[in-house]
Amino acid sequence: MPETVNDYLLRAGRLADGGLRLVDRAEQATWMGWGEVRERALAVAGGLRELGVGRGERVALVFPTGGEFFAGFFGALLLGAVPVPLYPPVRLGRLREYVVRTTRMLSVSGACIVLADARVRRFLGEAVAAARPRYGCRALADLPAAAPAEPVRPRPDDLALVQFSSGTTVAPKAVALSHRAVAAQTETLSGLWPDRPGLRHSCASWLPLYHDMGLIGCVFPALLRDATLTLLPPELFVARPALWLRAIGRWGATISPAPNFGYSLCLTRVADADMEGVDLSCWRAALNGAEPVAPAVLRAFAARFARWGLSPAALKPVYGLSEAALGVTFSDLEQPCHSRWYAREALAREGVARRQAPGAERESGGAAGAGVAGNAARANRAAGAVGAAGRAGSAAELGREIVSVGRPLPGFRLSIRDPHGRELPPCRVGRLWVSGPSLMEGYLGDPEGTARALRDGWLDTGDLGFLDDGELYLTGRAKDLIIVRGRNHSPAEVEQAVDALPGVRTGCSVAVSWLPEGAAGEVLALFVERSRHATADELAALPDACREAVLAATGLAVDRLLVLAPGTLPRTSSGKLQRSETLRLYLAGGLEPPAPVTALRLAQAMARSGMAYARWRFARREEGLP
Amino acid sequence: MGTDILSGIAEVARQHLGWEGPLTADMRLVEDLRLDSVRLLTLAAEVENRFRVRLDESDEAAIVTVGDLVETVRRKLA
Repeated sequence: MPETVNDYLLRAGRLADGGLRLVDRAEQATWMGWGEVRERALAVAGGLRELGVGRGERVALVFPTGGEFFAGFFGALLLGAVPVPLYPPVRLGRLREYVVRTTRMLSVSGACIVLADARVRRFLGEAVAAARPRYGCRALADLPAAAPAEPVRPRPDDLALVQFSSGTTVAPKAVALSHRAVAAQTETLSGLWPDRPGLRHSCASWLPLYHDMGLIGCVFPALLRDATLTLLPPELFVARPALWLRAIGRWGATISPAPNFGYSLCLTRVADADMEGVDLSCWRAALNGAEPVAPAVLRAFAARFARWGLSPAALKPVYGLSEAALGVTFSDLEQPCHSRWYAREALAREGVARRQAPGAERESGGAAGAGVAGNAARANRAAGAVGAAGRAGSAAELGREIVSVGRPLPGFRLSIRDPHGRELPPCRVGRLWVSGPSLMEGYLGDPEGTARALRDGWLDTGDLGFLDDGELYLTGRAKDLIIVRGRNHSPAEVEQAVDALPGVRTGCSVAVSWLPEGAAGEVLALFVERSRHATADELAALPDACREAVLAATGLAVDRLLVLAPGTLPRTSSGKLQRSETLRLYLAGGLEPPAPVTALRLAQAMARSGMAYARWRFARREEGLP
Repeated sequence: MGTDILSGIAEVARQHLGWEGPLTADMRLVEDLRLDSVRLLTLAAEVENRFRVRLDESDEAAIVTVGDLVETVRRKLA
C-alpha cells in the first residue's frame, strides 16, 4: 500500500534536525521534534477515541500556529479521522463575521467535535451552539485522559483532510482531499528539492496552517523528509514582516513561499535597520503563488533585497489551487523567472497571445530590476512605476506584461479550453483545466459544485490563461472569486453587504477583483446600481455607506466603487448578473447605462463591429491564414 | 493620560496606517477608520510596541472604537 501522511509521521523524528522550530514575537525559537509531535498526537488520538470519535469523522481545529495545532491535527489523522483546520479569529476584528463564518464551516464540514485553543474557545461559543457538533468544543487539555491510541493506517482512498478554498460566509467550499492526493502532492513537491552532500533543504513559513500552502506545501514535505520547518505565526508576519526575512537568514532556510501580498508587504513595511546583519543568500526558492503575481512586485523585491544577499534567481512564481491540493505549475528552479510582453488588443479582443516586440521580454529581478537602489521608498516607487514606465514606451504602450508561472509539475497536465470544453491551441486564451495525481475528491455537501468542477478526471480551475512554449501565463479569472492578500472571498458576501442600503437597487450589485497592470496587488471593485427611487441625499451618501458596509461585513476594503444607473450591469438571458463580463466591460471602458436604440446608435454599433471584423481579417492575414 | 494615549494612537495611525484625518474616541476602527484585517493587525502590533503593553484576546473582543482601545491601553498601563 502506498504511503500516507500517517506513515511519514510514524517514521519521522529519527534525524536530529527533523522537527518544528516555532518562532515567537521575541524571535525566540521553541523546538518540537517530529517524535514529540507524534507522542502528543497519539495522546490526543487516545482522548478523541475515548470520547467516541471514530474513523472518517471530521474533527475541526481552531488553533493559532503552534504546537497544539500539530497535536490536534495529527491526533485526528492517527485515529483515522479527518482534520478540518479553520481560521482562528483575527485580532481586533469583527467577531460577528467570524462567528457566522465559523458556524457555516462547521456545519458544511459536518464536524463532530471542535478542538480549539483555550483562549480562542471563548469566542466559539455561539458558533458551536449553532452548529452543534456532537462532542462539543474542547481544548486539548479537556480531552478525557486515556492511553495513547494505536495509530490507524488509512487507505489511500480515505479522506486525509478538508480545507476551505474560500473563507466566506455565503458559500464556503469545503475541499475534500484523499490520502492518495495529499501524498502525491507532498512527494511531488519534495522531489523538486533533492538534498545533496553539503545541502540539506529546509523551509521557513509564516503561512497559516489552515491553508494548503502552509500545511501541504510546508509541513508535509518537511515531515516526509524528516527535515526542519521554521514557523512564524501569520499575525506576527503581518505585524512585523521583517521577522520572516530574519528567520530565513538566521536559520538558513532554502525554501520559503508566500503570496504576492507577502512580498509586497515587505517592500512597504521592512526598514533597512530591520535587516542589519541578515544574509538571504541561503534562500533558493522564494515561491510566489496563491494570488496573481505582479511583475512589478517581483522586480522591486529582488532589487530591494539583493543588498542582503537575495539571489534574483530565487524568485519563483508558481500556480496552484486548493482543489488540486496545492501546486500545479512551477517556474524552472534552475533559471531566473521571466515575463513576456503580449499585444494588448489581441489578448483582450481576440483572445490571442501574440508576443510583442521580440526582445521586449524582461528577466524579473534581473538586469532591469537590479539597477533599482535598495531602500524602501525607492523600491516602492519602482514597484508603482514599472507599469507606468512600461506604458510610456511606444512598444510597451500596446503591450501587456505577464509573468510565466512555469510548467506543470511531474504528473500534471494542462488544457486550455473554450467555453464549450474544446481544447485550444497554444497562445489562445481560454479556461484552464488541469489533471494530475492530487485533485480533490470534491466539495463536501455540494454535489452540483463538484460536478461542475470535476469532469472525466479534469478539474476546471475557473482561471483564464494560455500556454506559450509550454509555460502557463494567467490572464484573469472566469470563476467568480475575489482574491485579496492570498485569501479567497466569495463576491456574494461583498454584494450582500450593500443590498439593504438605502438607494441601492436590491440584488443589483457586482463585486470583482483583478490585478491591474503595474499594480502591487489585486484591486477590489464594487459596482452598484442605484435604485430608481433613490433620493439625492441617499445617492450622495451611497459610496461611503457601501464602503463601510463591506468593511463591516467582510473586512475587505473596496478600492474602486461605481454607482451606476439601473440596468447598466450585464445580465444573462435569465437575468442573472454576470461578474466577469462586468469586469471585462469596465476595463474596456464600456460600462455604460443602456440607451434607447436609435438609428444613429445602430449605425455606430455596426461600424464598431465592422472595425472588429477588419482587425480580425488583418490578424489572420498576418498569420498567413485565408 | 487618556489624551496622551489617544494622541499616541493617532500617531500610530498616521505613521503606519496612513490615516490623515483627525482621530476621535468615538470613531469605530472598522467602519470609520476603514481598517481591514491586515491593518487591524498592524494597529494592534504598533500600539503594543508604542505603549509596551500586550493586548490579549479577551481585551480585544470588546474593542470596537478608538475609545475602547484607549481605555484598554490605559488599563494595561495602570
